[in-house]
Amino acid sequence: MTAGAEGLGEEAPALTYASVSGRTRRRLIFDRFIPWLLPLAFVVVLFPLFDMIFWVAQKAVPTFTLATLTETQVGFGGGLYSMILGTLVLIAIGTAIATGIGMAAGFYTAEYAPRPVATFGRLAGNILAGVPAIVLGYFGYYLLVLYTNWGFTTLAGGIVLGIFMTPYVYRTTDLALTSVPPTQREAALAMGARPRQYLLRIAFPIALPTVLTGIFFAMALGLGEAAPIVYTAGWSSTPITGLMQPTSFLTGAIWLFYDLPPSEGTLLTLAFQAAFLLILIVLGLNVIVQLLSDRFRRRLQGLFE
Amino acid sequence: MSAEGVPTPNGVALRVRHLYVRARDRTILTDISIDIPDKEVTAVIGPSGCGKTTFIRSLNRMTETTQGLTVQGSVLYRGQEIYSPSVAPVLVRQRIGMVFQRPTVFPISVYENVAFGLRLEHQPEDRIEQEVQHSLVRAGVWEEVKNDLDRPALSLSGGQQQRICIARALAVRPRILLMDEPTASLDPVSTQRVEATLEELSQEISIVMVTHSIAQAARASTRTAYLYQGRLIEEGSTEELFERPKQKLTEEYVTGRFG
Repeated sequence: MTAGAEGLGEEAPALTYASVSGRTRRRLIFDRFIPWLLPLAFVVVLFPLFDMIFWVAQKAVPTFTLATLTETQVGFGGGLYSMILGTLVLIAIGTAIATGIGMAAGFYTAEYAPRPVATFGRLAGNILAGVPAIVLGYFGYYLLVLYTNWGFTTLAGGIVLGIFMTPYVYRTTDLALTSVPPTQREAALAMGARPRQYLLRIAFPIALPTVLTGIFFAMALGLGEAAPIVYTAGWSSTPITGLMQPTSFLTGAIWLFYDLPPSEGTLLTLAFQAAFLLILIVLGLNVIVQLLSDRFRRRLQGLFE
Repeated sequence: MSAEGVPTPNGVALRVRHLYVRARDRTILTDISIDIPDKEVTAVIGPSGCGKTTFIRSLNRMTETTQGLTVQGSVLYRGQEIYSPSVAPVLVRQRIGMVFQRPTVFPISVYENVAFGLRLEHQPEDRIEQEVQHSLVRAGVWEEVKNDLDRPALSLSGGQQQRICIARALAVRPRILLMDEPTASLDPVSTQRVEATLEELSQEISIVMVTHSIAQAARASTRTAYLYQGRLIEEGSTEELFERPKQKLTEEYVTGRFG
Protein backbone atom coordinates (compact mmCIF):
# COMPACT_ATOMS: atom_id res chain seq x y z
CA MET A 1 0.00 0.00 0.00
CA THR A 2 1.20 3.44 -0.87
CA ALA A 3 0.73 6.95 0.40
CA GLY A 4 -2.74 7.97 1.61
CA ALA A 5 -4.91 10.57 -0.01
CA GLU A 6 -3.59 13.16 2.42
CA GLY A 7 -0.23 12.68 0.89
CA LEU A 8 1.44 12.02 4.22
CA GLY A 9 3.61 9.41 2.67
CA GLU A 10 2.52 6.81 5.25
CA GLU A 11 0.89 3.47 4.78
CA ALA A 12 -2.92 3.49 4.70
CA PRO A 13 -4.30 2.51 8.13
CA ALA A 14 -5.46 -1.11 8.47
CA LEU A 15 -9.24 -0.94 8.76
CA THR A 16 -10.58 -4.00 6.95
CA TYR A 17 -10.98 -7.54 8.27
CA ALA A 18 -8.63 -8.69 5.55
CA SER A 19 -5.89 -6.37 6.70
CA VAL A 20 -5.45 -8.10 10.07
CA SER A 21 -4.68 -11.71 10.77
CA GLY A 22 -4.36 -14.35 13.44
CA ARG A 23 -5.92 -13.79 16.86
CA THR A 24 -6.98 -10.25 16.18
CA ARG A 25 -8.96 -11.34 13.17
CA ARG A 26 -10.55 -14.32 14.94
CA ARG A 27 -11.60 -12.07 17.80
CA LEU A 28 -13.10 -9.51 15.49
CA ILE A 29 -15.11 -12.16 13.72
CA PHE A 30 -16.21 -13.76 16.99
CA ASP A 31 -17.39 -10.36 18.24
CA ARG A 32 -19.72 -10.13 15.29
CA PHE A 33 -21.40 -13.36 16.32
CA ILE A 34 -22.04 -12.35 19.92
CA PRO A 35 -25.24 -10.44 19.17
CA TRP A 36 -26.56 -13.67 17.61
CA LEU A 37 -25.34 -16.02 20.32
CA LEU A 38 -26.98 -14.14 23.17
CA PRO A 39 -30.52 -14.30 21.78
CA LEU A 40 -29.90 -17.98 21.08
CA ALA A 41 -29.15 -18.56 24.78
CA PHE A 42 -32.30 -16.62 25.57
CA VAL A 43 -34.36 -18.94 23.40
CA VAL A 44 -32.71 -22.03 24.90
CA VAL A 45 -33.75 -20.80 28.34
CA LEU A 46 -37.27 -19.82 27.38
CA PHE A 47 -38.13 -22.83 25.25
CA PRO A 48 -38.47 -25.34 28.12
CA LEU A 49 -40.63 -22.86 30.04
CA PHE A 50 -43.11 -22.40 27.21
CA ASP A 51 -42.94 -26.08 26.33
CA MET A 52 -43.82 -26.98 29.92
CA ILE A 53 -46.67 -24.48 30.15
CA PHE A 54 -48.03 -25.72 26.84
CA TRP A 55 -47.72 -29.37 27.88
CA VAL A 56 -49.48 -28.78 31.21
CA ALA A 57 -52.17 -26.61 29.65
CA GLN A 58 -52.81 -29.21 26.96
CA LYS A 59 -53.51 -31.90 29.55
CA ALA A 60 -55.37 -29.68 31.99
CA VAL A 61 -57.50 -27.24 30.03
CA PRO A 62 -59.87 -29.60 28.10
CA THR A 63 -61.29 -31.01 31.32
CA PHE A 64 -60.94 -27.87 33.42
CA THR A 65 -64.38 -26.74 34.57
CA LEU A 66 -65.86 -24.83 37.46
CA ALA A 67 -66.34 -28.18 39.18
CA THR A 68 -62.56 -28.62 39.18
CA LEU A 69 -62.39 -25.70 41.56
CA THR A 70 -65.46 -26.38 43.68
CA GLU A 71 -65.68 -30.15 44.06
CA THR A 72 -63.78 -32.33 46.47
CA GLN A 73 -61.79 -35.24 45.16
CA VAL A 74 -63.46 -38.56 46.01
CA GLY A 75 -61.85 -41.79 44.88
CA PHE A 76 -60.93 -41.29 41.21
CA GLY A 77 -63.23 -38.34 40.63
CA GLY A 78 -64.06 -34.85 41.83
CA GLY A 79 -62.06 -31.66 41.80
CA LEU A 80 -59.34 -29.79 43.61
CA TYR A 81 -61.43 -27.95 46.21
CA SER A 82 -59.80 -29.41 49.34
CA MET A 83 -56.31 -28.87 47.90
CA ILE A 84 -57.00 -25.26 46.92
CA LEU A 85 -58.39 -24.60 50.37
CA GLY A 86 -55.40 -26.30 52.01
CA THR A 87 -52.89 -24.40 49.88
CA LEU A 88 -54.58 -21.07 50.63
CA VAL A 89 -54.58 -21.71 54.38
CA LEU A 90 -50.96 -22.93 54.34
CA ILE A 91 -49.73 -19.97 52.33
CA ALA A 92 -51.71 -17.58 54.55
CA ILE A 93 -50.04 -18.93 57.69
CA GLY A 94 -46.66 -18.98 55.96
CA THR A 95 -47.02 -15.41 54.66
CA ALA A 96 -48.14 -14.13 58.05
CA ILE A 97 -45.12 -15.68 59.76
CA ALA A 98 -42.62 -14.72 57.04
CA THR A 99 -43.91 -11.16 56.81
CA GLY A 100 -43.91 -10.61 60.55
CA ILE A 101 -40.56 -12.16 61.38
CA GLY A 102 -38.84 -11.36 58.10
CA MET A 103 -39.76 -7.69 58.13
CA ALA A 104 -38.97 -7.22 61.82
CA ALA A 105 -35.59 -8.90 61.39
CA GLY A 106 -34.93 -6.86 58.25
CA PHE A 107 -35.69 -3.61 60.09
CA TYR A 108 -33.40 -4.63 62.90
CA THR A 109 -30.56 -5.64 60.61
CA ALA A 110 -30.74 -2.56 58.42
CA GLU A 111 -31.30 0.09 61.07
CA TYR A 112 -30.43 -1.01 64.57
CA ALA A 113 -28.03 -3.95 64.62
CA PRO A 114 -24.33 -3.29 65.31
CA ARG A 115 -22.33 -4.08 62.22
CA PRO A 116 -21.04 -7.56 63.23
CA VAL A 117 -24.56 -8.61 64.21
CA ALA A 118 -25.94 -7.34 60.91
CA THR A 119 -23.27 -9.19 58.96
CA PHE A 120 -24.03 -12.36 60.87
CA GLY A 121 -27.76 -11.91 60.30
CA ARG A 122 -27.31 -11.48 56.55
CA LEU A 123 -25.11 -14.56 56.41
CA ALA A 124 -27.63 -16.58 58.42
CA GLY A 125 -30.42 -15.37 56.14
CA ASN A 126 -28.53 -16.51 53.07
CA ILE A 127 -27.83 -19.89 54.63
CA LEU A 128 -31.46 -20.35 55.59
CA ALA A 129 -32.51 -19.45 52.04
CA GLY A 130 -30.09 -22.07 50.78
CA VAL A 131 -31.24 -24.91 53.05
CA PRO A 132 -32.94 -27.54 50.88
CA ALA A 133 -36.69 -27.47 51.43
CA ILE A 134 -36.69 -31.17 52.19
CA VAL A 135 -34.39 -30.54 55.16
CA LEU A 136 -36.84 -27.99 56.49
CA GLY A 137 -39.55 -30.58 55.96
CA TYR A 138 -37.74 -33.13 58.14
CA PHE A 139 -36.92 -30.47 60.69
CA GLY A 140 -40.62 -29.61 60.90
CA TYR A 141 -41.51 -33.28 61.06
CA TYR A 142 -39.32 -33.91 64.10
CA LEU A 143 -40.14 -30.66 65.86
CA LEU A 144 -43.77 -29.99 65.03
CA VAL A 145 -45.17 -33.43 64.26
CA LEU A 146 -43.34 -35.80 66.59
CA TYR A 147 -41.94 -33.69 69.42
CA THR A 148 -45.10 -31.69 69.99
CA ASN A 149 -47.29 -34.77 69.60
CA TRP A 150 -49.51 -32.78 67.22
CA GLY A 151 -49.31 -35.35 64.49
CA PHE A 152 -49.69 -34.04 60.94
CA THR A 153 -51.37 -30.63 61.07
CA THR A 154 -52.08 -27.71 58.77
CA LEU A 155 -50.55 -25.43 61.40
CA ALA A 156 -47.23 -27.33 61.34
CA GLY A 157 -47.23 -27.16 57.53
CA GLY A 158 -47.91 -23.42 57.62
CA ILE A 159 -45.16 -22.82 60.17
CA VAL A 160 -42.55 -24.73 58.17
CA LEU A 161 -43.66 -22.92 55.02
CA GLY A 162 -43.24 -19.68 56.96
CA ILE A 163 -39.70 -20.66 57.93
CA PHE A 164 -39.04 -21.45 54.28
CA MET A 165 -40.37 -18.05 53.14
CA THR A 166 -38.89 -15.88 55.91
CA PRO A 167 -35.34 -15.42 54.51
CA TYR A 168 -36.70 -14.00 51.25
CA VAL A 169 -38.78 -11.38 53.05
CA TYR A 170 -35.91 -10.73 55.45
CA ARG A 171 -33.35 -10.19 52.72
CA THR A 172 -35.52 -7.91 50.61
CA THR A 173 -36.53 -5.82 53.64
CA ASP A 174 -32.91 -5.41 54.67
CA LEU A 175 -31.81 -4.65 51.11
CA ALA A 176 -34.63 -2.19 50.54
CA LEU A 177 -33.89 -0.26 53.72
CA THR A 178 -30.12 -0.19 53.27
CA SER A 179 -30.50 1.09 49.72
CA VAL A 180 -32.46 4.16 50.80
CA PRO A 181 -30.06 7.03 50.06
CA PRO A 182 -28.30 8.08 53.29
CA THR A 183 -29.07 11.71 52.50
CA GLN A 184 -32.71 10.97 53.30
CA ARG A 185 -31.78 9.94 56.82
CA GLU A 186 -29.55 12.99 57.23
CA ALA A 187 -32.31 15.29 56.05
CA ALA A 188 -34.89 13.71 58.35
CA LEU A 189 -32.61 13.79 61.39
CA ALA A 190 -31.63 17.38 60.62
CA MET A 191 -35.35 18.22 60.79
CA GLY A 192 -35.41 16.94 64.33
CA ALA A 193 -36.93 13.56 63.48
CA ARG A 194 -36.20 10.74 65.88
CA PRO A 195 -34.70 7.60 64.27
CA ARG A 196 -37.99 5.76 64.62
CA GLN A 197 -39.88 8.60 62.95
CA TYR A 198 -37.37 8.60 60.09
CA LEU A 199 -37.83 4.87 59.73
CA LEU A 200 -41.63 4.91 59.66
CA ARG A 201 -42.26 8.13 57.75
CA ILE A 202 -39.44 8.18 55.22
CA ALA A 203 -37.45 4.97 54.93
CA PHE A 204 -40.30 2.49 55.11
CA PRO A 205 -42.48 4.13 52.42
CA ILE A 206 -39.43 4.21 50.14
CA ALA A 207 -38.64 0.58 50.88
CA LEU A 208 -42.22 -0.67 50.75
CA PRO A 209 -42.44 -1.56 47.05
CA THR A 210 -39.28 -3.67 47.29
CA VAL A 211 -40.54 -5.30 50.49
CA LEU A 212 -43.88 -6.11 48.82
CA THR A 213 -42.00 -7.57 45.88
CA GLY A 214 -40.10 -9.77 48.31
CA ILE A 215 -43.30 -10.91 49.99
CA PHE A 216 -45.00 -11.80 46.70
CA PHE A 217 -41.84 -13.52 45.52
CA ALA A 218 -41.73 -15.56 48.73
CA MET A 219 -45.41 -16.44 48.26
CA ALA A 220 -44.78 -17.61 44.71
CA LEU A 221 -41.90 -19.78 45.91
CA GLY A 222 -43.90 -21.10 48.86
CA LEU A 223 -46.85 -21.99 46.66
CA GLY A 224 -44.67 -24.18 44.51
CA GLU A 225 -43.05 -26.07 47.37
CA ALA A 226 -44.10 -29.58 48.33
CA ALA A 227 -41.18 -30.79 50.44
CA PRO A 228 -41.67 -28.62 53.55
CA ILE A 229 -45.34 -29.54 53.87
CA VAL A 230 -45.44 -33.14 52.77
CA TYR A 231 -43.83 -34.18 56.06
CA THR A 232 -45.72 -31.76 58.26
CA ALA A 233 -49.21 -31.16 56.92
CA GLY A 234 -49.70 -34.82 56.02
CA TRP A 235 -52.56 -35.47 53.64
CA SER A 236 -56.31 -35.50 53.91
CA SER A 237 -58.79 -35.72 51.08
CA THR A 238 -61.57 -33.95 52.92
CA PRO A 239 -61.58 -30.15 53.13
CA ILE A 240 -60.10 -28.98 56.42
CA THR A 241 -62.23 -27.44 59.12
CA GLY A 242 -59.44 -26.63 61.58
CA LEU A 243 -55.74 -25.88 61.79
CA MET A 244 -54.94 -28.96 63.88
CA GLN A 245 -55.95 -31.36 61.11
CA PRO A 246 -53.88 -32.66 58.24
CA THR A 247 -54.69 -31.17 54.86
CA SER A 248 -54.20 -31.74 51.18
CA PHE A 249 -52.56 -29.10 48.97
CA LEU A 250 -51.97 -28.45 45.28
CA THR A 251 -48.30 -29.41 45.07
CA GLY A 252 -49.16 -32.59 46.99
CA ALA A 253 -51.70 -33.49 44.35
CA ILE A 254 -49.04 -33.26 41.65
CA TRP A 255 -46.58 -35.26 43.69
CA LEU A 256 -49.04 -37.96 44.78
CA PHE A 257 -51.24 -38.42 41.73
CA TYR A 258 -48.66 -38.24 38.96
CA ASP A 259 -46.96 -41.50 39.83
CA LEU A 260 -49.82 -43.40 41.41
CA PRO A 261 -50.42 -46.84 39.84
CA PRO A 262 -53.75 -46.07 38.14
CA SER A 263 -52.11 -42.95 36.86
CA GLU A 264 -54.02 -42.76 33.66
CA GLY A 265 -57.53 -41.37 34.11
CA THR A 266 -58.92 -38.84 36.53
CA LEU A 267 -56.19 -38.62 39.15
CA LEU A 268 -53.52 -37.92 36.56
CA THR A 269 -55.76 -35.25 35.10
CA LEU A 270 -56.16 -33.78 38.58
CA ALA A 271 -52.37 -33.61 38.91
CA PHE A 272 -52.15 -31.64 35.66
CA GLN A 273 -55.00 -29.39 36.68
CA ALA A 274 -53.30 -28.65 40.01
CA ALA A 275 -50.09 -27.82 38.14
CA PHE A 276 -51.99 -25.61 35.72
CA LEU A 277 -53.69 -23.77 38.55
CA LEU A 278 -50.36 -23.21 40.34
CA ILE A 279 -48.81 -21.83 37.16
CA LEU A 280 -51.70 -19.41 36.81
CA ILE A 281 -51.41 -18.23 40.41
CA VAL A 282 -47.64 -17.76 40.21
CA LEU A 283 -48.06 -15.93 36.91
CA GLY A 284 -50.67 -13.70 38.54
CA LEU A 285 -48.36 -12.94 41.47
CA ASN A 286 -45.57 -12.02 39.09
CA VAL A 287 -47.83 -9.69 37.14
CA ILE A 288 -48.83 -8.00 40.41
CA VAL A 289 -45.18 -7.61 41.39
CA GLN A 290 -44.38 -6.08 38.00
CA LEU A 291 -47.27 -3.63 38.12
CA LEU A 292 -46.46 -2.60 41.68
CA SER A 293 -42.79 -2.01 41.06
CA ASP A 294 -43.50 -0.05 37.86
CA ARG A 295 -45.92 2.20 39.68
CA PHE A 296 -43.61 2.78 42.62
CA ARG A 297 -40.58 3.27 40.45
CA ARG A 298 -42.32 6.14 38.73
CA ARG A 299 -43.15 7.66 42.11
CA LEU A 300 -39.55 7.40 43.32
CA GLN A 301 -37.96 8.54 40.08
CA GLY A 302 -34.96 10.75 40.74
CA LEU A 303 -34.35 9.50 44.25
CA PHE A 304 -31.78 6.84 43.45
CA GLU A 305 -29.60 8.87 41.11
CA MET B 1 -16.62 24.22 80.89
CA SER B 2 -20.09 24.07 82.40
CA ALA B 3 -21.90 26.76 80.58
CA GLU B 4 -25.51 26.46 81.52
CA GLY B 5 -26.90 29.85 82.27
CA VAL B 6 -23.81 31.69 81.15
CA PRO B 7 -25.27 34.72 79.41
CA THR B 8 -24.60 35.14 75.73
CA PRO B 9 -24.37 38.79 74.69
CA ASN B 10 -27.17 40.23 72.62
CA GLY B 11 -26.63 39.87 68.93
CA VAL B 12 -24.82 36.57 69.29
CA ALA B 13 -26.75 33.56 68.02
CA LEU B 14 -24.16 30.92 68.77
CA ARG B 15 -21.05 31.19 70.90
CA VAL B 16 -18.49 28.51 70.07
CA ARG B 17 -15.60 28.03 72.47
CA HIS B 18 -12.58 25.72 72.20
CA LEU B 19 -14.36 23.30 69.92
CA TYR B 20 -12.48 20.16 68.94
CA VAL B 21 -13.86 17.45 66.69
CA ARG B 22 -11.90 14.24 66.39
CA ALA B 23 -12.26 11.19 64.23
CA ARG B 24 -10.69 7.91 65.30
CA ASP B 25 -7.30 8.64 63.84
CA ARG B 26 -7.09 12.40 63.45
CA THR B 27 -8.31 15.76 64.66
CA ILE B 28 -10.68 17.42 62.20
CA LEU B 29 -11.27 20.68 64.06
CA THR B 30 -8.82 22.25 66.48
CA ASP B 31 -9.72 24.82 69.10
CA ILE B 32 -12.38 26.79 67.26
CA SER B 33 -13.78 29.80 69.07
CA ILE B 34 -16.16 32.12 67.28
CA ASP B 35 -19.33 34.12 67.86
CA ILE B 36 -21.98 33.63 65.21
CA PRO B 37 -23.91 36.90 65.05
CA ASP B 38 -27.68 37.06 65.09
CA LYS B 39 -29.55 37.99 61.91
CA GLU B 40 -26.60 37.94 59.61
CA VAL B 41 -25.24 35.59 56.98
CA THR B 42 -21.94 34.11 58.07
CA ALA B 43 -19.96 32.43 55.31
CA VAL B 44 -17.51 29.67 56.21
CA ILE B 45 -14.80 29.39 53.57
CA GLY B 46 -11.65 27.37 53.16
CA PRO B 47 -10.05 24.80 50.90
CA SER B 48 -11.48 21.27 50.54
CA GLY B 49 -10.94 19.12 53.60
CA CYS B 50 -10.43 22.08 55.95
CA GLY B 51 -13.34 21.01 58.15
CA LYS B 52 -16.01 23.51 57.01
CA THR B 53 -18.74 20.90 56.75
CA THR B 54 -17.79 19.23 60.02
CA PHE B 55 -17.83 22.65 61.65
CA ILE B 56 -21.42 23.50 60.76
CA ARG B 57 -22.53 19.94 61.48
CA SER B 58 -21.14 20.34 64.98
CA LEU B 59 -23.38 23.37 65.51
CA ASN B 60 -26.60 21.32 65.68
CA ARG B 61 -25.17 18.02 66.81
CA MET B 62 -25.43 16.40 63.39
CA THR B 63 -21.86 15.21 64.01
CA GLU B 64 -23.37 12.53 66.19
CA THR B 65 -25.10 10.91 63.24
CA THR B 66 -21.66 10.08 61.82
CA GLN B 67 -20.11 7.18 63.66
CA GLY B 68 -16.71 7.66 65.20
CA LEU B 69 -16.71 11.44 65.69
CA THR B 70 -16.18 12.91 69.14
CA VAL B 71 -16.84 16.51 70.01
CA GLN B 72 -15.20 18.44 72.79
CA GLY B 73 -15.71 22.07 73.75
CA SER B 74 -18.69 24.31 74.05
CA VAL B 75 -21.44 25.56 71.77
CA LEU B 76 -23.81 27.96 73.46
CA TYR B 77 -27.17 28.62 71.91
CA ARG B 78 -28.83 31.57 73.66
CA GLY B 79 -27.06 30.78 76.90
CA GLN B 80 -27.64 27.01 76.73
CA GLU B 81 -24.89 24.48 76.19
CA ILE B 82 -26.14 22.29 73.35
CA TYR B 83 -23.64 19.56 74.24
CA SER B 84 -24.89 19.33 77.82
CA PRO B 85 -25.98 15.75 78.63
CA SER B 86 -29.44 17.02 79.57
CA VAL B 87 -30.05 18.46 76.09
CA ALA B 88 -31.97 16.38 73.52
CA PRO B 89 -30.22 16.57 70.14
CA VAL B 90 -33.60 16.24 68.43
CA LEU B 91 -34.77 19.50 70.01
CA VAL B 92 -31.52 21.24 69.12
CA ARG B 93 -32.03 20.33 65.47
CA GLN B 94 -35.56 21.70 65.48
CA ARG B 95 -34.21 25.13 66.49
CA ILE B 96 -31.02 24.98 64.45
CA GLY B 97 -32.03 23.71 61.02
CA MET B 98 -29.86 22.45 58.23
CA VAL B 99 -29.88 22.44 54.44
CA PHE B 100 -27.54 20.17 52.53
CA GLN B 101 -25.34 20.40 49.49
CA ARG B 102 -27.66 18.46 47.26
CA PRO B 103 -31.42 18.82 47.47
CA THR B 104 -32.76 16.13 49.79
CA VAL B 105 -36.50 16.27 49.23
CA PHE B 106 -38.42 13.27 50.46
CA PRO B 107 -40.26 11.21 47.85
CA ILE B 108 -43.62 12.70 48.83
CA SER B 109 -45.59 15.73 47.67
CA VAL B 110 -44.27 19.28 47.85
CA TYR B 111 -46.82 20.03 50.55
CA GLU B 112 -45.93 17.00 52.69
CA ASN B 113 -42.24 17.77 52.38
CA VAL B 114 -42.67 21.20 53.88
CA ALA B 115 -45.16 19.86 56.43
CA PHE B 116 -42.74 17.13 57.57
CA GLY B 117 -41.30 18.87 60.62
CA LEU B 118 -44.69 20.24 61.64
CA ARG B 119 -46.21 16.77 61.53
CA LEU B 120 -43.41 15.55 63.79
CA GLU B 121 -44.63 18.16 66.26
CA HIS B 122 -48.27 17.08 65.77
CA GLN B 123 -49.40 20.55 64.74
CA PRO B 124 -53.07 20.98 63.79
CA GLU B 125 -53.83 20.81 60.06
CA ASP B 126 -54.93 24.44 59.62
CA ARG B 127 -51.72 25.66 61.22
CA ILE B 128 -49.69 23.31 59.00
CA GLU B 129 -51.41 24.69 55.92
CA GLN B 130 -50.62 28.26 56.93
CA GLU B 131 -47.06 27.46 57.80
CA VAL B 132 -46.42 25.54 54.57
CA GLN B 133 -47.52 28.48 52.48
CA HIS B 134 -45.61 30.97 54.60
CA SER B 135 -42.42 28.91 54.45
CA LEU B 136 -42.64 28.48 50.68
CA VAL B 137 -43.05 32.24 50.37
CA ARG B 138 -40.04 32.86 52.61
CA ALA B 139 -37.97 30.38 50.63
CA GLY B 140 -38.86 32.29 47.46
CA VAL B 141 -40.46 29.37 45.69
CA TRP B 142 -44.18 29.87 46.38
CA GLU B 143 -45.02 31.51 43.04
CA GLU B 144 -43.44 28.60 41.18
CA VAL B 145 -45.10 25.74 43.04
CA LYS B 146 -48.36 27.13 44.41
CA ASN B 147 -50.37 25.18 41.83
CA ASP B 148 -48.28 22.03 42.21
CA LEU B 149 -48.41 21.43 45.95
CA ASP B 150 -49.67 17.89 45.45
CA ARG B 151 -47.04 17.00 42.89
CA PRO B 152 -44.15 14.75 43.95
CA ALA B 153 -41.33 17.03 45.07
CA LEU B 154 -38.89 14.86 43.12
CA SER B 155 -40.49 15.98 39.86
CA LEU B 156 -39.36 19.58 40.35
CA SER B 157 -36.11 21.07 39.05
CA GLY B 158 -32.97 20.94 41.20
CA GLY B 159 -33.19 24.63 42.07
CA GLN B 160 -36.82 24.31 43.09
CA GLN B 161 -36.06 21.19 45.11
CA GLN B 162 -33.35 23.03 47.01
CA ARG B 163 -35.71 25.87 47.84
CA ILE B 164 -38.31 23.30 48.93
CA CYS B 165 -35.66 21.99 51.31
CA ILE B 166 -35.08 25.49 52.61
CA ALA B 167 -38.83 25.94 53.07
CA ARG B 168 -38.98 22.60 54.87
CA ALA B 169 -36.23 23.71 57.23
CA LEU B 170 -37.93 27.07 57.77
CA ALA B 171 -41.34 25.60 58.51
CA VAL B 172 -40.35 24.60 62.04
CA ARG B 173 -39.27 28.21 62.66
CA PRO B 174 -35.59 27.66 63.41
CA ARG B 175 -33.63 30.59 64.84
CA ILE B 176 -30.54 29.51 62.97
CA LEU B 177 -30.18 27.88 59.57
CA LEU B 178 -27.00 25.97 58.72
CA MET B 179 -26.35 25.52 55.02
CA ASP B 180 -23.71 23.25 53.55
CA GLU B 181 -22.89 24.61 50.10
CA PRO B 182 -26.57 25.14 49.34
CA THR B 183 -25.96 26.16 45.74
CA ALA B 184 -23.20 23.71 44.84
CA SER B 185 -25.50 21.64 42.64
CA LEU B 186 -27.50 24.51 41.18
CA ASP B 187 -27.30 26.52 37.98
CA PRO B 188 -26.51 30.26 38.11
CA VAL B 189 -30.15 31.37 37.94
CA SER B 190 -31.21 29.12 40.82
CA THR B 191 -28.10 30.16 42.73
CA GLN B 192 -29.12 33.77 42.39
CA ARG B 193 -32.61 33.00 43.67
CA VAL B 194 -31.28 31.13 46.68
CA GLU B 195 -28.89 33.96 47.48
CA ALA B 196 -31.72 36.47 47.29
CA THR B 197 -33.69 34.21 49.63
CA LEU B 198 -30.79 34.16 52.09
CA GLU B 199 -30.57 37.92 52.17
CA GLU B 200 -34.24 38.22 53.00
CA LEU B 201 -34.13 35.47 55.61
CA SER B 202 -31.24 37.09 57.39
CA GLN B 203 -33.55 39.88 58.51
CA GLU B 204 -35.19 37.36 60.83
CA ILE B 205 -32.74 34.53 61.50
CA SER B 206 -29.03 33.79 61.47
CA ILE B 207 -27.55 31.84 58.64
CA VAL B 208 -24.27 30.00 58.59
CA MET B 209 -23.32 28.98 55.09
CA VAL B 210 -20.44 26.84 53.99
CA THR B 211 -19.33 27.76 50.52
CA HIS B 212 -16.65 26.72 48.11
CA SER B 213 -17.02 29.88 46.16
CA ILE B 214 -15.13 32.90 47.41
CA ALA B 215 -17.26 35.01 45.09
CA GLN B 216 -20.42 33.73 46.75
CA ALA B 217 -19.07 34.52 50.19
CA ALA B 218 -18.28 38.05 49.04
CA ARG B 219 -21.72 38.48 47.45
CA ALA B 220 -24.03 36.84 49.91
CA SER B 221 -22.53 37.13 53.40
CA THR B 222 -21.89 39.91 55.88
CA ARG B 223 -19.49 37.91 58.03
CA THR B 224 -16.86 35.44 56.90
CA ALA B 225 -14.82 32.85 58.73
CA TYR B 226 -11.79 31.28 57.09
CA LEU B 227 -10.86 27.75 58.10
CA TYR B 228 -7.62 26.10 57.13
CA GLN B 229 -6.53 22.62 58.18
CA GLY B 230 -9.10 22.46 60.94
CA ARG B 231 -8.22 25.79 62.51
CA LEU B 232 -10.04 29.09 62.40
CA ILE B 233 -7.50 31.39 60.79
CA GLU B 234 -9.52 34.56 60.68
CA GLU B 235 -13.07 35.83 61.00
CA GLY B 236 -14.69 39.20 60.71
CA SER B 237 -16.88 41.29 58.49
CA THR B 238 -16.80 40.03 54.96
CA GLU B 239 -15.70 43.38 53.63
CA GLU B 240 -12.78 43.62 55.97
CA LEU B 241 -11.69 40.02 55.53
CA PHE B 242 -11.62 40.36 51.78
CA GLU B 243 -10.12 43.81 51.55
CA ARG B 244 -7.82 43.97 54.56
CA PRO B 245 -7.11 40.42 55.68
CA LYS B 246 -5.02 40.31 58.83
CA GLN B 247 -3.46 36.93 58.15
CA LYS B 248 -1.21 36.04 55.29
CA LEU B 249 -3.01 32.68 54.83
CA THR B 250 -6.32 34.44 54.47
CA GLU B 251 -4.96 36.86 51.96
CA GLU B 252 -3.53 34.07 49.85
CA TYR B 253 -6.85 32.25 49.85
CA VAL B 254 -9.19 35.16 49.14
CA THR B 255 -6.97 36.49 46.40
CA GLY B 256 -7.09 33.10 44.76
CA ARG B 257 -3.43 32.29 45.09
CA PHE B 258 -4.27 28.83 46.39
CA GLY B 259 -7.26 26.69 47.34
